[in-house]
Amino acid sequence: MAHVTFIHGISNKPEADELLKIWRRALADTGDDPLALGSLGVSSSLVYWADVMYAAPDPDVSAHEGVLENTPAAVDGSGNPPLPTPVSPESAAFIEALRRELTDLSDAEIAAAPQAPVATGPKGLERVPLPWALKKPIMAAFLRDVHHYLFNVEITPRPGATFRVQDEIRRRTLDRIAEASSRPHIVVSHSMGTVIAYDCLKRVQDCPDVDGLITLGSPLGLDEVQDKLRPGWSRDGGFPVEKVHGDWVNVFDRLDVVCGADPHLSNDFRRQRIGAVMDVAVQNSGAWRHSATKYYRQPRLRQELRRMLGV
Amino acid sequence: MTADLAAVPPDDPRLALLRDADDVLDRLRGTAGDGDLATARTVARRLRGMREFRMLARVGEAVGRQSPTDAVVRCWYGQALIETGQATAAIDVLHPLAKKLPRTDASWPEAQGLIGRAYKQIFFDARDKHAPAAREALKQAVTAYRAVMEAPGASWTWQGINVVAVLAAARRLKIRVAPGVDHVALARQVLRGLEQVPVDKRDEWHAATAAEAYLALEDWENVASRLGVYIVNADVTAFHLASTLRQFTEVWGLGDDRHHGQPLLAILQAQLMQKPGGCLEFTQAEASRLQTSPVPTGRLEAILGHDGPRTYRWMLMGLERAKSVAAIELRGLRRHGTGFLMRARDLGLDRDDLVVLTNHHVVNAQASGEAIHPADAEVVFEALSPVQRIDVDDVPWSSPPDRHDAAILTLKSQPQGVQPLAAARALPVLDEPQRVYVIGYPGGRELAFSLQDNELLDHEAPPAGKPVIDGVARLHYRAPTEGGSSGSPVFNDEWGVIGLHHLGGKQGVSRLNGKPGTYGANEGLWIRAIIDERKP
Repeated sequence: MAHVTFIHGISNKPEADELLKIWRRALADTGDDPLALGSLGVSSSLVYWADVMYAAPDPDVSAHEGVLENTPAAVDGSGNPPLPTPVSPESAAFIEALRRELTDLSDAEIAAAPQAPVATGPKGLERVPLPWALKKPIMAAFLRDVHHYLFNVEITPRPGATFRVQDEIRRRTLDRIAEASSRPHIVVSHSMGTVIAYDCLKRVQDCPDVDGLITLGSPLGLDEVQDKLRPGWSRDGGFPVEKVHGDWVNVFDRLDVVCGADPHLSNDFRRQRIGAVMDVAVQNSGAWRHSATKYYRQPRLRQELRRMLGV
Repeated sequence: MTADLAAVPPDDPRLALLRDADDVLDRLRGTAGDGDLATARTVARRLRGMREFRMLARVGEAVGRQSPTDAVVRCWYGQALIETGQATAAIDVLHPLAKKLPRTDASWPEAQGLIGRAYKQIFFDARDKHAPAAREALKQAVTAYRAVMEAPGASWTWQGINVVAVLAAARRLKIRVAPGVDHVALARQVLRGLEQVPVDKRDEWHAATAAEAYLALEDWENVASRLGVYIVNADVTAFHLASTLRQFTEVWGLGDDRHHGQPLLAILQAQLMQKPGGCLEFTQAEASRLQTSPVPTGRLEAILGHDGPRTYRWMLMGLERAKSVAAIELRGLRRHGTGFLMRARDLGLDRDDLVVLTNHHVVNAQASGEAIHPADAEVVFEALSPVQRIDVDDVPWSSPPDRHDAAILTLKSQPQGVQPLAAARALPVLDEPQRVYVIGYPGGRELAFSLQDNELLDHEAPPAGKPVIDGVARLHYRAPTEGGSSGSPVFNDEWGVIGLHHLGGKQGVSRLNGKPGTYGANEGLWIRAIIDERKP
């Protein structure tokens, strides 16, 4: 029967098993079209890479359910990482350009912003815009995680564990994709997970084939990211046709800051010059629109995933 | 090993408790010391907590022989007798106890209240509520409960709400009992008592009791809001909900109130099916009423929250599927099993009509084993209104019990107004807890059909399954309460058919996929394996 390989996005996460359960629950939760993968015989697994970047899993598991927006963990800002240090002039330009997609403030101004609060329950829930105390860890996680992956930075998240970020995450992704014995096999990726999915499916020759790709809240539309996916990416032939035998569905919320100013991918990842990615706009709730669990509660996403899985 | 122990699967958490109880019983047969009696008391308390009333009655009897003055265990013994259907025996145990105890003793209100409870049960069990014996039981129930309420200093919340409930029932049934008692004023007193209980001391029944008191006041908004609190309490189990459902139906007669009562019952039913181990039993009239009533969307959202309407629609979909499930009867005599409607072509037959799939051991061409001959079988769609009874024409294909235990029945005429069931593509994966649902017609009871929640334990389907019979994939599942429904469909969470049920509640079933040991399990056959067997 069918299989889904999930790939998570930026910032620290709970332990892999917990995160997979949260995501499965979100797909099966609320709304008119719950999609309980397991009950339908669809197996699932997760490419987990948070431990490559962060010292230990986030113990605040419930924050990742994506309901509240009161702590960094609840808004993809868990782990409180430092802003990335450039490793080359090219890397410095990349960080600067990516940062400009998100804010006009300088690194110094961002660094001077107040620290994120500890969880205080629903009282701390903020409305649009999020306070800087929350935006700062989000931005740090976004800039650092994407930068370290694309520049294959060496990192030691805890004593005794040193990784080349891209090498390690690519290895894990290929292993997970290869483990799936059931078809159709759909990759569902979120946030930086979409960059990882694309990188592996388009640029890593040994990556196994899959039957479909879903990207959620993807920064792949950003020029800075696309530039770092060369060779492999091109505007007219960027669709990973070699490894993805079915559809690529890109789901975005226009107010999701990680998608940036260009959430559409059909014009940037064409197949033989023809737009082949199916862009689907949805409207998530709350001030923080990037949450994976909010995307998983969208009927359109569930509908597309159901169609691709044939269930 | 006692019968109680033999009936419990080895991985069931009740097993350790029942083992302890068995041990205590053994010790109480000898010269029991104070330590043995103290242990027995502890075990009895745990048995009561886990609602193991059959074993509690045995321990209560044993303690009573050694220590007849132990009023607490005596009360529990009385409760166990009521819960196991022995109300008059309970009265014989509790009456002398209540008479002997001073009213200041902490056990006196309990004993007295249980006497009321036993009489109440006798009244509601009576088919003719106006018969002299039933009326006398009702009167005795009110007298017993009121004695507690009138005793100075006694705590009487649960006895009080029961007086309110039985008086309201008497009024509804036009039976004169305790004419001087104002049940509405009593309900207000109960509410005041409930409000005084500190929040951290409120048990699972607190909000349900308040809802009952508001029922007496006909304050439907507060009934709904209290039910909302009750239903979302994580400690409220399928047992609690089933008890409340019974109380609201039998005692309060909410099923007769289309405007207020029926939507509340529907909400309780829907929520019950969302709880592990939930089991709903419907008469044909109840199922029909639910399906034709408008969805109480506003009230559902108010009580169950945003997901309420979805939960309700999910249950209605189950009821819709139930229309396609039929009782297989030995014509004019009795139910013999269950079967369900599918497209002949979906089962690999070269014809376009609808057929019924059931077990080989229910119907087969040779009438072998306990099966009935197709000429004697009648397929009865009891969830349809009106009920449709159709003769079996032939058995074009069957597979014996040691393989798929399946038989396809063609029908002499086609049922009207019912859709065939569709087979799911795959069995649920087992790396997370999964629930499956069985719709069947357990024999020997008045209900039309039951809809039962089961925990999926294991299966032999690909990719991980290791079937021992070539071309057959079994699945094991378990429910706390089990009824024999041979030939029933087994559904996944989306009401797709995943299996054909063929063994109910057997102990000592060998585990699947080469795992060692046995357990108590229901067994079904994967529907896709049956379909694949039919392919040329």
